[in-house]
Amino acid sequence: MDRRKFLGASVVAVAALVAPVTNLQAVDFRATKPNAWTAEHSPEAIKEMFGAGGLKTTDKIKFTAPKLAENGGSIPCNIKSDLDLESVAIFQDANPRAATAVFTVPVGGIVNYDFRIKMRKTAVVTIVAKGRDGTLYTVAKEIDVSIGGCGG
Amino acid sequence: MSNMKIKAKEKGGVVKVKMMFTSLMADKEEAEKKQIAVEYITQIVGKCNGAVVFEVTTSGFMSENPLFKFSFKGKKGDTLEITTTDNSGKTETDSEKIK
Repeated sequence: MDRRKFLGASVVAVAALVAPVTNLQAVDFRATKPNAWTAEHSPEAIKEMFGAGGLKTTDKIKFTAPKLAENGGSIPCNIKSDLDLESVAIFQDANPRAATAVFTVPVGGIVNYDFRIKMRKTAVVTIVAKGRDGTLYTVAKEIDVSIGGCGG
Repeated sequence: MSNMKIKAKEKGGVVKVKMMFTSLMADKEEAEKKQIAVEYITQIVGKCNGAVVFEVTTSGFMSENPLFKFSFKGKKGDTLEITTTDNSGKTETDSEKIK
């Protein structure tokens, strides 16, 4: 075992020791935060999901999405960050309910998620991420959805 | 019925996973419009060696046949196990060896 691998392995081992057992268990946000999934607008959904804490705008979370989406049925998005995050949630205002997806980041996990979302119309997509220290970070981006899909 | 495709490849200690699920992801309003049953995946959990490496709670606003890409620290030869749960509580599990 070379030094780099050993260091990596020991970090994982320490993380595994420090992490409470519950972290190995999946968290079902639908069961724990049912109200967040029925809220119609992003602010309400965010409040239900993460509490009424202040949101901090950050540039350390990179949210990549097309400025103009040709097909509102499938918009490729990417979230990337080096911050130590606990959960990352996606909200948008285009659909009947705001909450779209919530990623739970395992301890020592890499925040680099690609996914596709559906939007009925042009709206702002908000990413809210909770750090392990409890700080709430936010990034927002407006995505134009051209209905008809002609790219115009 | 296995209706997911998983690809996992290791490079430099980081495993890159690409996965695709077959689901209409039709929420209430959309199902009404198309006159089909409400069907969407609510949760996807990825496990490797018993530890959760990926987890997402989704709603019907992910695209049809959702595609996800993620990375985690792992090694070749391990098995990645993906479990999905849909709105009616049905679960499906599939596994893939990391290449």
